[in-house]
Order: sequence, then structure tokens, then C-alpha cells
Amino acid sequence: MRKFILLLFFVFTIFSCGTDTDAGKFVVGSDYLSVNNKVVLVDTVTVDMSTINIDSLLTSSQSRILVGNYSDPIFGKVRSNSYFQLSGTSYALKNSGSDTETANLVFDSISMILKYDNYYYGDTTQVQKFDIHRLTQRVKPNTEDSNFYNSSTLSYSSESLGSISYKPRPTEKDSINIKMSAAFGEGIFQKIKSREVTDFDTFTEYLKGLVLVPSTSNSPSSSVIGFHTSTSKIRLYYSKYKSDKEDSYYIDFSVLDIAKQFNSISSDKTGTLIQNLPASSSKLSSSLTNKQGFIQSGTGVACRIDFPNIKQLKYISNNGAIVDARLFLKPVNNSYSKEYPLADSLRIYVADNLNRLSSPLLNSAGSSVYGILNKKSDEFNENLGYTISIGNFLQKEMLKTSDSRSSLILMLPGISKSVNRIVLGDQKHVDNKIQLKIYYISY
Amino acid sequence: MKNRIVLFSCFILMSLTSFSQSISSSPYSLYGLGSLYDSDFGSLPGMGSSGIALPSDSFINNLNPASLGFMPLNHFMLDVGGKAIATTYENKTLTEKRNNFQFSHIAFAFPVTKNSGFSVALRPYSSASFKISDLILPIADSQETYSLTAEGSGGLNNFDFSYGYRFGKKLTVGVSAALLFGNTVDDRTFTILNSITTIHKRNDYNGVRATVGGQYVIESTFTIGGTVKLPSRVKSSKVQSVETTKDGVVTVIESDKPSDIDDYYMPLEIGVGVSKRFKNVLNVTLDYEKSLWNDTKQSELYGDFVNQDRFALGFSYFNPKKNFRKYWDRVRYFAGANLDTGYLEINGKRVNNASVSLGINLPIENTFSALNISYSYGQKGTVSNNLIKENYHKISINLSLDGIWFVKRKFE
Repeated sequence: MRKFILLLFFVFTIFSCGTDTDAGKFVVGSDYLSVNNKVVLVDTVTVDMSTINIDSLLTSSQSRILVGNYSDPIFGKVRSNSYFQLSGTSYALKNSGSDTETANLVFDSISMILKYDNYYYGDTTQVQKFDIHRLTQRVKPNTEDSNFYNSSTLSYSSESLGSISYKPRPTEKDSINIKMSAAFGEGIFQKIKSREVTDFDTFTEYLKGLVLVPSTSNSPSSSVIGFHTSTSKIRLYYSKYKSDKEDSYYIDFSVLDIAKQFNSISSDKTGTLIQNLPASSSKLSSSLTNKQGFIQSGTGVACRIDFPNIKQLKYISNNGAIVDARLFLKPVNNSYSKEYPLADSLRIYVADNLNRLSSPLLNSAGSSVYGILNKKSDEFNENLGYTISIGNFLQKEMLKTSDSRSSLILMLPGISKSVNRIVLGDQKHVDNKIQLKIYYISY
Repeated sequence: MKNRIVLFSCFILMSLTSFSQSISSSPYSLYGLGSLYDSDFGSLPGMGSSGIALPSDSFINNLNPASLGFMPLNHFMLDVGGKAIATTYENKTLTEKRNNFQFSHIAFAFPVTKNSGFSVALRPYSSASFKISDLILPIADSQETYSLTAEGSGGLNNFDFSYGYRFGKKLTVGVSAALLFGNTVDDRTFTILNSITTIHKRNDYNGVRATVGGQYVIESTFTIGGTVKLPSRVKSSKVQSVETTKDGVVTVIESDKPSDIDDYYMPLEIGVGVSKRFKNVLNVTLDYEKSLWNDTKQSELYGDFVNQDRFALGFSYFNPKKNFRKYWDRVRYFAGANLDTGYLEINGKRVNNASVSLGINLPIENTFSALNISYSYGQKGTVSNNLIKENYHKISINLSLDGIWFVKRKFE
């Protein structure tokens, strides 16, 4: 008896040792697996597209001098004037202490040096022309806040202090140099020499600021170029009169306060599909604009997306959740080109019915969601477009108990300091349809 | 006496510890309440699990409560068993071997009067263990797919109480009540596009099921038996948590939410069996059982259920010139076959199960106790219709202890 007990004890010890692990490679009845949890792809939800007009874009403190204009049949004429206030690094001439020496100093020349910041838009193979004008009012906002907007303007004198016609080479060259009026330079030089200008206040009293104005006359330029605000400058050269040594000196004036530099970006949409953009709290449906939505930086044209029926997804099953969703927006064929390239990404904001932005579109981790351009182009550009992950947004929209719906506002990056534009197809667009895929699971 | 009590309690303890370890993982465990254990007592596994007409005279016959009416007076029986199973899983492209050890049952029985007996048995009823790793599944009506990883565990236990009563010498009737209880845990992870959704579900089940049975001795070598398992409802409920992870952040969609789910229905099952002894050498048992699953209108939650037929045939061989002094003369040998059409239909195909078995009954010293060892080889399922074939070798070891306890010893 006892040895059987021992045997049994042994057997049970083995039994208790457990079981080989299951690698999980054998599955029977895949259909049955979806009885409890169905995974559904919904791609028939209505997406409404419209174009809106954002009133005022803050363009001061953007660290970019944006100058130029272009004209295209879709968006009309766009132009950017750049206003700024200058400050000197010092307001004293080079001397070794004696007034006689100062008296011997003479003005040589003055020029503006603009450093490319690599931003350009439009056809840079065309000659661009712009003029420098003197402001007749101080660089001070007319508004109650201390900011300047794309719609802000300041008065300036009609006299050109300098002008340049050049072919912009923003990526190959470092800067452009504009020779300025000698009379203008002499004026500054004499003010400093005579000690009438000794500090920033007296200097700005004399020179309130400058504006770069692209030429619109006979041959309008067809590109908009960006220059660095901080490294661009005006350089005033002077030297000793009848000196043995050919010593040459200079004083630099630059934009030290970036809040005192802004770009006034205006557009003339006459004759385009969006010439009648309504007030900023309203929208222009894509059904009235040839099934297209429009975005243009600088001028405040933005695209709005609405999901009017999203709450109906609640009725797919008793319990269900949107686990992910992907909005795929396609640029309209022939609306972009080498000169008017597509931006790499789209900025997305959440807004209410009156286009009041509440926040950037956030993912569940709280970081911003962008529309990412898929550059892999195929023969028919079918996969060219922007992908936006909106699962988190739509799940919240679906579960919202109130009647209010949020919409998405699409903008381009650098909305305040560039003039890029894009045309997107809506849900009924023949070639470049917007696509929405919602991944839904029932539980 | 005291010694035995210690030993028995030791068994019970061991059994209970291994009870929790009893895990059988089969791809078919996904369905219903899991895959069902066959946990037959005594020598039954060696006889192809046939024996509706066999009496509980040398071991506890779990196939028919009426058999308890034939329990010899003053005997106390205990049956405890375990199994070692080596299974080869095979589908069209893969084969995989897995070994598995499981506790089978613990049961005891004792006579109540000289013509009635009572038994209590605890055994696992079903195992819901399965595993699915990174299965790529299509999203309905699209070209896209998602990936599913799932793991099931848990299962139901069966605790039953049986009573058999003998009228005269020939007829017994019996009744048993089986308590089915337990829970299954199902964890699923869905990877859909860039999101990961986990659904953790615990289903709780409990139900009672009654069985009535009868046995009739037509003549000393020929017995017939029958059982009727009554249909019953196993109450089911679930507690579920759903979470979605996106961008590395977990969003709780539902947390430990209890809800009712469709109950599980046990069918009406009718079994008949005969047992015939030939020349005191060979005993043949033949059973047939029909389970009317179609009538249960089982919810699709559990799968497609179809009527099930089971045939079981068993032979036992005794040494005709039994010499009680010779150990090997007392050893009995068994053989059997079992054919089960299965109650599940998957992809339009039944999951059937067929096995053959051999067994041996080794008496323990000079007692009525015995160790039953049986081996069976079987096949479940098929490779066609995207099903899985399981080839298994199974060794069952059942210890059937039989003690004469209710006799007052004249000398202590």
C-alpha cells in the first residue's frame, strides 16, 4: 500500500508541474472571433468642407522680413510689404577723442544688406523688384494691443531710398545688397556727426522706420522672399577725409526689437472662386467653390472640415468605440507646381461653429496632431495627400452629449510669416476626394 | 485507521492543489464554455468510457447514478485520478506538440443502506484555455486588416451528488445533481491601425443539472442501463474592461462593467447501455448517447451547436481461473473504442472525436483497492475546412480505493 501512495504522490507532483506553453499559432474559426468584438471600418461618414477667412493674423515678432508678390488664377494677387524700425549698435563715429578728427570724417555710402532665410514662394527665376521707403509715422500699433497684423499698414513717403531688381537665389546665395540713396545716408551721417543723434530715441525721431515695397507697376515680381530679421542690416560707410591711410569705417543699423518688424500681407481675390469670402465667423461651402477648399498663409484663408453625422456612429452597436480614424486630404491636381510647392504638413485646430479656435488638434497624449504629406507619388498622384489622425477627436465628438459640434480648421505651417497656399478636394471632388476611414470596435 | 485518514486527507489536499493546475489548452476551447474534460472514474477510461450498465461494485461508476444502488454494504470508495496528455496539433501548414498534465477527479461513495448508495464527486468540467498570437484578420468589407492576440483561461467545475436506490435484486434507479460553477477569463488585444485596444472579460457561470438513471439486471450476465440528463440553463454574466492605447496613452472606455450575457444551455441527453458477460472471462459494454443540442437554441455567442451522438464500446477481461494468491491472476485488462460526433460545427464541419483505449487494473496488495492505468489514442477535429486536428496520446491513472469501514472490528 505504502509504495502505491508514494507512487501517487510522485504522479501528482508531475501533474502539478504544469503544461507546455501554447505559442498561440493554432486558431480555429476566425469568423467566430468577431462574434463578440466586431472590427468595422466606416468610410461613408459625411465630411463637409468649407473655406473661411481669418480676420487678423499676427505678423509682428515673426523674425522674417517677407517681401514680394505673386499673382495666380486661384488665389488672386498676393503681396507682402515689410515694415521695421531700425536701431544702431552705436550712435558715435570712430574717433580717437579729438573733435578735429571727427570733423575730418566724411560719408561714403549706405546700403541695405538682407540675409536670405531660405524661405521663398513663387517663381524665383523671374526678376523681383522692390523699393525701400521711409516711414512717415512711427512703428507703433494702431490697435490697442502692442501687435501688428497682416492687415496693419503705416504711412510712408513716396520717395524711394533704394531699389533692387534681382533674380532671387534664396538657397544658393547668402544675401542681397541694395545700394541706398546717398542723400539719405549723408543725412544720417550728419545727424550723428553733429551729435543731434546720440541714442535710440533721437535716432528714431529722425528715422522712424523703413518699409520694403514690392513693385507692382509694369513688371510685377512673381515671388515672395523671406529675409532674416536679426542679421539683416543697413550699413553706413564713412572714412577720413584726405587721409594717407584709406581707412574705412561703418555703422550698422538693424532691427533689434523684433516686435517692431511686421509684414503687411494683402491679397486681391477679385475674379477668383473665393472672392466673396464671408466674415470671419462664417464659412463658404465647398459646394459653392467647385468642390474645393482653400488655404493660404499670410492672407488668412483657411479650410474648415465638419463631421455633421458623427454622432450616428453610436448606433452601429450597443457598445462601441472609435479606436482610430484617418482623414486623407488630397491637393487638387494642377493646383501645385514646382513654383508653388506643397507644404510638408498641415496645422490643425479645433474650432467651434463660429470659427473660434479652441486649441490645436491634440492626440491622446496631448501633443499636436499634424497633417503629414505622403510624398510617395505614383503615376496618378493617388496617394499624394495629407494624412491626419483624428481618432481621438472623433471618439470625443461621437460621445458628446451636447448638440454642439466641433470642426477642424486646417492651416499651413507658418501661417503668419509665409504665403504658401493649397487647394484641397472635398468629398465630392472627382479626382481628389477627401477620404475618411474610421476604425470602430464593438465590445 | 488513523493512518488512512491522514492519507486520504493528503490525497484531497494534493488533488485540490493540482486542481488549480489543470490546464488543457486547445484551439477549440474558444467555443462554448471551453473544451470539455473527460474524467471517467476507475477502469472506465480503458473501456472507451462505456459503462452506463455497469454497477458501482468495484469502483465508482460516474456514468450512471443508478449504479450506486449496487454498492456493496460496508464499503467506502474513493477515486482520484489524473491524466498526462501528449497532443499534436496540426493544420494545413503547421504541426506542434504539446504535453499537458491535468487533474481528473476526486470522488467518494458510500452505501447509505443495504440497497442504496451516495457519492460526491469534484472534477473539472471544461477548460477555456486558448491562445492566439498576432492573428491577422480582415476588417469586414475592406481590404484592410487588424491583428488579434488573445488568451483565454479558467473554466467550469462540476461538483456532483449522486444517489442510487435498488428495488429488489434487479432494478436500480438513481438521481444526481451536478453543480456547474466557475469563470472564464478572456483577454483580447486588437491592434487596429495605430491603436491598441484591450478587452478584458471575465464570465461567471453557475447552474445546476439533474440526471436520472436506471439499471436493470435481465439475467446475471446481462444488464441494461439508461440515463437522462435533463436540459438546464447555466446562468452567465460578465465583467468587462475596455481600454484603448493610442500615442502611448491609455484611455479607459469601460472599467469592470458588469453585464448579463446570453445564458448557456445544456441539452437533453439520453444514454442507453448494455453490459454482457461471456463465460466469466470477458465482459462487453456498449453505450450510445444522444445530446439534443439543436433544441437548446444556443446563442451564437458560444458557437454553432449541433446534435451529438456518442458510441462507446468496451471489453474487460478477467482471468477465469482466478487464484487469489497469485497477484497477476487478479489483474484485469481492458480495451475500448469511443466515437463522438461532437457538438460543435465550425466552418460547416463537425468537430468529431474518435479514440481507442487499453487499460489495466492493478489490485493493491490484498485489498479491494486498485490502480487503474489506461492509455488511449485519439483524434479530434480535422485538417480540412481550416480546422485543426488534434492527435493525442493519453495516459489516465485512477486510484480506486475501497475500504471496508463500516464493520465494527471485533478485536482492536
